[in-house]
Amino acid sequence: MFRRGQKVEIYKKSEDEGWAGYMDEYIGRHGMITDPDTAINDPDALVEVSIEGKGTHRLPQDCLRLLD
Amino acid sequence: MAKDRCPVNETIEALQDHIDSGSLTAPKDRRIAEEIADLLNDVAWGRAGEAHIPAIEELVRELKKEGRKEAVAEAANMVEKGLARGREAFISHVQTHNCPTGDCVRLAPAPCQMTCPAGIDVPTYVTLIGQGKDAEAIDVIRKDNPFPWVCGLVCTRPCEFMCVRGRIDTPISIKFLKAFAAERALSNREYKNPEKAPDKGKKVAVIGAGPGGMSAAYYLALKGYGVTIIEALPMAGGMMMVGIPRYRLPREVIDREAGMLADLGVEFRFNTLFGSDLTMKDLEEEGFDAFFFAIGAHRSFAMNISGEEDYPEVLPSIDFLKAVALGDRKMPGKRVVVIGGGNVAIDAARTSLRLGSESVTIAYRRTRNEMPADIEEVEQAEEEGIRFSFLTVPVEVVGENGHVTALRCLRAELVPDDKSGRMRPVPIEGSEYDMEADAIIAAIGQRVDVDCVKGGLCDLEWSRRNTIGVNMVSMETSEPGVFAAGDAVTGPATVVEAIGGGKRAAEAIDRYLSGIPQPEMPPVPVRRDRTANLEVPASTKMALKRPEMPLLNIDRRRTTFQQVELGYDENAVREEARRCLRCDICMRCGKCVEICRDKMGVNGLQFGHLDFDHPVATDFRHTEEDCILCGACANNCPNNAMVLEDRDDERVLSFCGTVLNRQKLIKCRECDAVLGPARYLDFVRKRTQGVAKLTGERNLCERCAREKEARKLHSDIPG
Repeated sequence: MFRRGQKVEIYKKSEDEGWAGYMDEYIGRHGMITDPDTAINDPDALVEVSIEGKGTHRLPQDCLRLLD
Repeated sequence: MAKDRCPVNETIEALQDHIDSGSLTAPKDRRIAEEIADLLNDVAWGRAGEAHIPAIEELVRELKKEGRKEAVAEAANMVEKGLARGREAFISHVQTHNCPTGDCVRLAPAPCQMTCPAGIDVPTYVTLIGQGKDAEAIDVIRKDNPFPWVCGLVCTRPCEFMCVRGRIDTPISIKFLKAFAAERALSNREYKNPEKAPDKGKKVAVIGAGPGGMSAAYYLALKGYGVTIIEALPMAGGMMMVGIPRYRLPREVIDREAGMLADLGVEFRFNTLFGSDLTMKDLEEEGFDAFFFAIGAHRSFAMNISGEEDYPEVLPSIDFLKAVALGDRKMPGKRVVVIGGGNVAIDAARTSLRLGSESVTIAYRRTRNEMPADIEEVEQAEEEGIRFSFLTVPVEVVGENGHVTALRCLRAELVPDDKSGRMRPVPIEGSEYDMEADAIIAAIGQRVDVDCVKGGLCDLEWSRRNTIGVNMVSMETSEPGVFAAGDAVTGPATVVEAIGGGKRAAEAIDRYLSGIPQPEMPPVPVRRDRTANLEVPASTKMALKRPEMPLLNIDRRRTTFQQVELGYDENAVREEARRCLRCDICMRCGKCVEICRDKMGVNGLQFGHLDFDHPVATDFRHTEEDCILCGACANNCPNNAMVLEDRDDERVLSFCGTVLNRQKLIKCRECDAVLGPARYLDFVRKRTQGVAKLTGERNLCERCAREKEARKLHSDIPG
């Protein structure tokens, strides 16, 4: 599960319905987790990621991998 | 048109000049010009679709219609010519999401602004606060977020996680600066609404008076729409009011900022539950032209354990916090167990303590490391005496005579999941034990009240997470004219995210009602100004430290709902603002460092913070040791972040206001022309000594040296 402040890479397209077409542009970009699921550590929850140069978005967790 | 300028950018600037000059006096002309500017900005930021350029052309034709004033025709012609001359570049922006000249990128907001879900121009308002201009700072914030005071107290501050200063030492305390400015501006009666646009003659219904709904209402009202907010609760605020305890967010803060909406003419209808008191049909009959749903996520998940529904002392956290917020200050029980590990669990535990509970324990399935709650909240809870029971899995609520007596639990251990490799808690067989309790509060997550919306709007599409399905760019639902944002769309999220969603929805509703295309990419935050830098010596910039937040004494924290964080004093606020690196000006391209190190061979800039992935040490004081003040960095800086200037008898190099080096200037002994600092002259002489003969006279400008040499030669001629 992701923690706030962790650096991540959007390394692949997600199969989740929360993945929108415009998000394809984010693949390969790095960012930081700014608001993980703060309630129940649900691996299915959308987490808030600030992507360098692209703003902040809610993304499915399966498209993210930790950089550190 | 200059070769290195982007025609899109140039057209935007020229059109903005027309708008700002006030030459478009008729409200309709100004509105059309602003719509063109919005569409051009979509193009500049790679958010435009195929419909954008035709829509711009249509609006230009509208502006050029007969009978319009000369200034209007001039603005229309300017856009038309810009489009004609730079058509390829416009199309390239739309199709490749790229600016070939890089000009559009120069407008790039700072990482803190890019990170803010509401897109607030952080460097501008932090600088204004540093200058003591608190009310101006609030004006800047409210262009993107109508709740600066609320966010100054409860924002999860994603901006601070991306703050570049954090790569050097600690991030700027952005959140608390905002709270100070809001409080000061309100106290000075300088917290004011901007002027509204003329009435557009259209009405929007907003369902939910939480942060998302009220933000949309605020921006729609400013755009000239008539807005009515339908709210189930008896007051404004939504989850801010009934989900966040008063020791974190006093009610007055919400009341004052919500009151600003009423001043704008927004109508509130309280105690009105959509779906039962009022239906979609009722609203349509009232003549509303668009609808915005921001109903939050006010239902708790069930624990699904035995005994959960058998006792009145088992409370869903949301219901408990809501009852307390609405005035029910009854102690839930002497011994309270709160189940969960998130922020809501912490809020429920700290609230129980303040209501007089003797012992409050948070039972969590995993360990402290996995707790999703904010670390500050956890620390403050521990200071107040909340206990934690980790690796604890509740299995049954135990009771006698109709009342709770204990929570039966199993101990757990963390083992890696076979599929994902994530650590998950697995109960240890035979480890069953009872935690004594006379109240149990379940804080294991919230969900959207689906029935409430379905009651009034049957055909709406829902996501598999049971949230309202929307296009995340335009916030449009599957129903035409119906928009949604906030927790009802994202699931339980943050106040600032709901505010950002509300603002985005207001933009989209305006476009929908104006008949102009929606963008195809999410909006990029807008820079509101380029405020002059605060000048700070390098040594001060490095020495200033983020201030500690003073807290209420522990006894009052355990017994009252007084605000725990007391706020910074004025001196701390002004000093903290001076730590800002002004990343709205420095784009961290690193050209200055490369040129100084690789071309000049000086290596006078120790700017390790420029790299996002692998930041290394930064020390602004280092520059003074090695820098020769040649100006190569400043000359190659694409955004004037590095500035070299002569002031009186000194040459000064500064980086976004941080004075890196200042050296006395040497002047020509004969004519007083500036030669440069001694270090620079020595550097040039060393570099050129192999190819140019050194004159005996060191402190002469070229012209005086030449004249002196000529006179000498002349005097040497015999006879």
